[in-house]
Formats: sequence, structure tokens, C-alpha cells
Amino acid sequence: MRHDIPNPDHAIVVEQLSKRYGALLAVDNVSFTVAKGELFAFLGPNGAGKSTTAEIIETIRAPTSGKVTVLGMDVARSKAKVVRRIGVLPQGFSSFDRLTVRESLSYFAQVFGSDADVDALMDLTHLRSKANALFNTLSGGLKQRLGIAAALVNDPELVFLDEPTTGLDPHARRAVWEVLKGLKERGKTIFLTTHYMEEAELLADTVAIIAKGRIVATGSPARLTEQHADHMRLTLGSSDAATPALIRKMGFEPTRTSDESLCVKVDDADDVRAILGEIERAGLSLRNIDVRRPNLEEVFLKLTDESRTDVAKGGPG
Amino acid sequence: MTPRIIAANLVVRLRSFYREKSAMFFTFAFPVILVLVFGTIFTRPEHLDFDLPVQDLSRSAASARLLDALTTDHTFRITPVPAGVDAAQYAREHKLNLVLVIPEDFAVREAKRVGARDPGVSVPLTYVHDPSSTSVSTKIQALDAIVAAINQKMTGTPPFITLVPASILAERYRFIEFFVPGIIAMAIMTSSLGNALNMNAELRQKGILRKLATTPITRTDWLVSSILYQIALSVVSTVAILIVSYAVFDVRLHVGFWLPIIVVVEVIAFVGIGMLLTPLAQEAESASAVGNAFLFPMMFLSGTFFPVEMMPAFLQSFAKLLPLYYVNEALRAAMIFADGPATLRLTGVAAGFAAIVFLAGTLKTRWDGEA
Repeated sequence: MRHDIPNPDHAIVVEQLSKRYGALLAVDNVSFTVAKGELFAFLGPNGAGKSTTAEIIETIRAPTSGKVTVLGMDVARSKAKVVRRIGVLPQGFSSFDRLTVRESLSYFAQVFGSDADVDALMDLTHLRSKANALFNTLSGGLKQRLGIAAALVNDPELVFLDEPTTGLDPHARRAVWEVLKGLKERGKTIFLTTHYMEEAELLADTVAIIAKGRIVATGSPARLTEQHADHMRLTLGSSDAATPALIRKMGFEPTRTSDESLCVKVDDADDVRAILGEIERAGLSLRNIDVRRPNLEEVFLKLTDESRTDVAKGGPG
Repeated sequence: MTPRIIAANLVVRLRSFYREKSAMFFTFAFPVILVLVFGTIFTRPEHLDFDLPVQDLSRSAASARLLDALTTDHTFRITPVPAGVDAAQYAREHKLNLVLVIPEDFAVREAKRVGARDPGVSVPLTYVHDPSSTSVSTKIQALDAIVAAINQKMTGTPPFITLVPASILAERYRFIEFFVPGIIAMAIMTSSLGNALNMNAELRQKGILRKLATTPITRTDWLVSSILYQIALSVVSTVAILIVSYAVFDVRLHVGFWLPIIVVVEVIAFVGIGMLLTPLAQEAESASAVGNAFLFPMMFLSGTFFPVEMMPAFLQSFAKLLPLYYVNEALRAAMIFADGPATLRLTGVAAGFAAIVFLAGTLKTRWDGEA
């Protein structure tokens, strides 16, 4: 599939992209698109090829084959133009140790020839109180927020965030999420590389999962969950011996968990209501009830496990 | 090439340098300290004077005349050694490297030689010395010269052959005049090579290069700003060395237009070498080791601290393969001898080397995420 005429609604078009390092095929014929204004989460286990793919799109690396179009420009031929319109938080962002937060942002703004409001960027990333702190004194979370602010100095249309929350504690991670939500509200297109499913599920409009260098699924988190996840799980704390038989009689197959609870796979909320109603009518007791919806993590594990199995069976590597 | 970006990089690097106190010390203070220490140790005063312990066993008018003659040109200050002690033992106990012994029969022998005009009579003056002492040979030479003058005076005829000094230098030339150009060259070399190597290794290791690769900074912008940064540091370092040298040692050096030209050539040469060595320093921590492995042999074999003529012939040949040798020689040709043609020739060799290594270093330096 070729896109000779750029679609103005697409911020990124990746076509049959491959990257080889010697014998290792890190990215294998990958194609996808990112719509303008969306937060696109690129997921994959470590070594799956997600950072390599992201860095090719960000113009940091050159592809072995294939084509990448960013904001209508071929990155291989228009790198200088592309970098002026994108903002990048590379994986493990670092700046000059002995520059303050304010000086770092001013430096990157000057490099882009931008008249960025450094104070506003610090406000957006909640860094104002650290304006005069040297980079080498910042915590991991503050460094990442500075990296995000540095990625915004040229007011980019497209922002790449490569694992912005890796290694951060839960508080710092949530602080970064707030910044991302703020960017999304401003209409920025965001390409987020992460291996945190919770992050993608919470923030992303579209998710692509890459495993062993290949895209194994693309879609919204809800759609992927619907397409690929197993049933809802109803867990019942019941010591009545009659409960399993009652549930079986209704056509479900309960299993015992390690804590002697009963786990039942159900299709939807109606099934949950029916089972609970029958138990109540039979006068059986329940200690506790837990209903779990399928989530992106299950989809991710399932798809990446399948990919591993394919490889083990001699599939693509 | 974008002047705005070059200026931004230059400001960042100067600001970072200013905040790195140890870098400030090693770039500016360390060469100045070397000048002060080595200048003080090796710069000899205009007139040498030594203590000369003398054991006068004669204790006669003749020996008194000899002692007067020994102190006539003020080279020696006579300190008496008791007559009843063993001179060698006394020298060991009092840590003396030279003791002159006037024999008991000095007056008698002098009378025979001078009064009876017996040319077969001589007087052996024993000098007890410590051959392991580095300064004793200078004292012995001075003593030899004085004794020769006394002998010549006693013969009553003027010498047939005399030595007349004629210096190739317009002005006096001391160790410090030799040393200062060497220290200027050494300071520029260590700073240029070290900074290029450390900065490139750090950029790669910390991933800053990956971020810079996604900005409009080009490799040319970065290299030009690196050169300008090094030139700025080198100018400050050179000025500091010269100020201290003039103020403390009253050096007589020619500081003309050649000096800034040689400084720029040296900066380009050693930034180029730093870029070429960067692939060997996989981590910032190993950059110093790689740099030192290159810097120290260069420093000691290129005539920074002593003339290469003092080294064995094969090392002299090797020294002439080193770029710092030509920088040292060019600086000395310009600053000591004011020899324009020699300076031009030596600077030309250094500039040719600088052009080659800088070009090679530029081609070797990757300016993208795969560097």
C-alpha cells in the first residue's frame, strides 16, 4: 500500500519499514498511520523494535528499507524541515549537567530559533519551582518533565515521547501523565512509546502493538480489548459446596483459585447478574464478589505471547 | 552553518565550564602553577654563589692568600672545617657535597715553587665530594676555573687562547624562556584534546547526542562551536601563563602575531585528534584514560619540559613525528628567537597536520543517533 499523495489527516505514515543490524532484523516490514491530533501509543516488550521504529520516524536513525512520511514530508529527504516541526523526548533524555532548567530550555529554544515562552513551558510541565536547579541535581521525574518541555520549545505539531515514564515512581509517572493530557488538550499529535499498558489505556486514542519487529495489532484500546481479550472474570468467595454445581447447571464452568474462591468466565454484565441472582435465590452465602473486565495488558500479553509462540514454531523473527 | 546555533552552543559550553571548578583549575591554574614551580626550581640567578667548606691544614699566610683568591669573584663563600676532623666523615655528617682540603705543607710547597722557582713542585688540593649530588659538578667546574685562573696568574704571562662568548640570542635566554612556550603548548594540547574527547564521549553515553540529533544543529555547527570554545579557553590560559611569567620571572619573550596563529593551529590539531580518539572511549569514564595514554608520551617526548636534543637519537627521531614537537618549536622560534622563516616553516608543518587530523576527525564523527 503506497501513499503517493500525502493524506492531510495523517501526521505519520509508515510504509513497509525495515531496519536491519547485521543479522538482526529489528523492524520487519512495519506499516501504520497516525492521525493528526491523536495520542498514538506504540507498545511492545523490550527489544521488540519499538524504539528503533520511533527513532527512524524521529529522524535519528536511517531505515534499511521502507518509507516514513511525517507531516507530509519524507524524513529521509527532508530531515532538516522535519526536525523543525517535531518535538522529541528521546529515550533516557539527558541534558547538559551544569545548565539549569531555565538555561536548558532557553538553549533548545535558541537552537530552534524559537521565541518560546520558557516560563509557560515550565508551568505546563510543573517545573517553575526548579527553574534554577542544575540538571544533574534533578530527580528522574523532573528530568523527564524537562525533556518534555524541551520537546515543546519549537511549538511542534507532532511530539514524540519515547518511554517518558520508564523508571519513574508512581507519583512522578502520574505527574507526567498530567502533562501529556495537557498536550492532548492543546491538540498536539503525540507518538508515545511505552511498555506500561495502564499508561496507554488511560491516555491513548490508538494503540499499535509491536512484537519481534512486527505490528501484531492496531486500534483503540477498547477495540483491541474487545477483539482480543478473553471473557470478563467473576470471582466468588463461597464455601458452600452447592455453589459450583448451581453455576454449572446454568451452563458456566467455574474453577477453584488458589484461595479456594470460584472463578467464572462470563460474557457480560447480564451473566454476572444472572449468576448472583441464582445464588441469592438458592440461599447460598458469598464472602466477597469481584468482577474484572478484560484490559489492554491481557491483550498485550496474549498477542506478544502468540508472537513468541509463532517464532518458536518457526514463524517470522 | 548557523551563527545563532554556534553562539548558543558556545554559551552553553562556556557556562558549563565556568561551573566546573576542577576543569577551571586544570585549564588555567595548573599550567600557571607548573610555570611557578619549575621556573623557581630551574631558573638560575644571574650570579651563582656557593658555600665552600674548606679544611685549612696549613693555617699559613700562603693558605690565607689562597682563600682570598678563591673568594675574589664571589662565587664561593668560604666556611671553615675544623682541622682535626676527617674531611670525608665531616662531609657525610654535615651533608656537604664538596669539601676542599688545603694540605699541611701548602706554604712550604708554595715557597719552593714561587720563591725557589722550582717548576717541578706542585700542590695537590684534595676536594672531597659526593658524586651522587646533582649540583656538585657545577661547583667543581667553578672551582676548576678559579684554580686555573690562580695558576695562570702565578705564571705571570697572559693566556694564549681565550674564549669570547657570542650568543645567538639578542637577549639572555634562561630556562624559563625555554619553558614558558612549552607550557603554553602543553596547556592548549591537554585542554583541546581532553575536552573534545570527554565532551564527545559524554554526549554519546548520556544520550544528549540523540536529543541534539533531533534539533536543527548540524555537525558543522557543533564542530565550529567546539573550536571557538577551545580557542577561548586557550587564549585565557595563554594570557594567564604569560602574565605570571612576566610578573614573577621577568621573561623576555616576543609576543607577536605568530602566537595567536600557532594557538589556533594547535587547537584545531588537538580537537581533531580528540575526535579521532572518541571511538576508543566507549564511556565517558574511559575517555580520560584514552586521553592520558596519548597526552603523556606527547608531553614528555616533544620537548615541552626539556630540549629534545637531550634525548637519545632514536627518541629525537620519534619526537619529530609528534605534532606537539612542531608546535613547541614554532612557539620557541617565534617567542624566543623571533625567527620568522623558522616559525613559518614549523607552523606550516603543524598546520598541515592539523588540517589532516581535523578533516579525518570530522569524517569519523557521527552526528546522529547511531554514533
